[in-house]
Amino acid sequence: MILQRPKAIFEGLLRDEDDDRRGLGWRCYCGTPDKAYLPDGDARPPWPNQVFMVFINKERVAYNWRWEKSSPKDPDLPAEHVPERFKRRLL
Amino acid sequence: MTAMSNADFAKAVFRIAGQPKPFEPVAYYDQDGDCIEFIAKPEPFYAERIDELVTVYYGQESKEIVGSLIKGVSKFFTQYPAFRILVKDGKVRLEHLFVARLFMAFEGGKLPTLTYEKLIEVAEQSNAQADVELALI
Repeated sequence: MILQRPKAIFEGLLRDEDDDRRGLGWRCYCGTPDKAYLPDGDARPPWPNQVFMVFINKERVAYNWRWEKSSPKDPDLPAEHVPERFKRRLL
Repeated sequence: MTAMSNADFAKAVFRIAGQPKPFEPVAYYDQDGDCIEFIAKPEPFYAERIDELVTVYYGQESKEIVGSLIKGVSKFFTQYPAFRILVKDGKVRLEHLFVARLFMAFEGGKLPTLTYEKLIEVAEQSNAQADVELALI
């Protein structure tokens, strides 16, 4: 859902931990999905004050995805984005 | 070929995979990423970067530390070769890595020491150690 309807797309990853462990990362898609999932597969409402992030490499493969704290100013964005974490915002 | 229902597919997967084993804390060194991922508890988590080396995983419900990602492991051992004494039989205890990081921080710069204290506690309780032999090459 985040990949189909992201609230923001960032390009240019500036932090090593966001990069693909087997190469270079490329873009990060962010947003708040309708549901979060528990380890047993049960759905629940999205976690409050958090945003879901999916990292994509240039082969268009999603290599990492996770919840992070959202920005207090915009709950659909991560707490840090441009310019400290990503080079630019595309969407 | 006939289509399989989701329930049948789930049954087939469980039949192949067998019964899940009880959770055990795990610390895994990823050579490609030069990082150690540590999972102490089987709880959904969100990630929070605390400095350029460590990202902490906090449990969504408990808000406790449930794991972490430590990056730049081989770089760390190259930069501070004395810390290689922490590695026994190719393995390093994670609390030792966190303590080493605290020592480094005293050389300069601020560090979230309380979070590191908690990380050390969780690593000790989990008895977590990672095989870092490949990081020393």
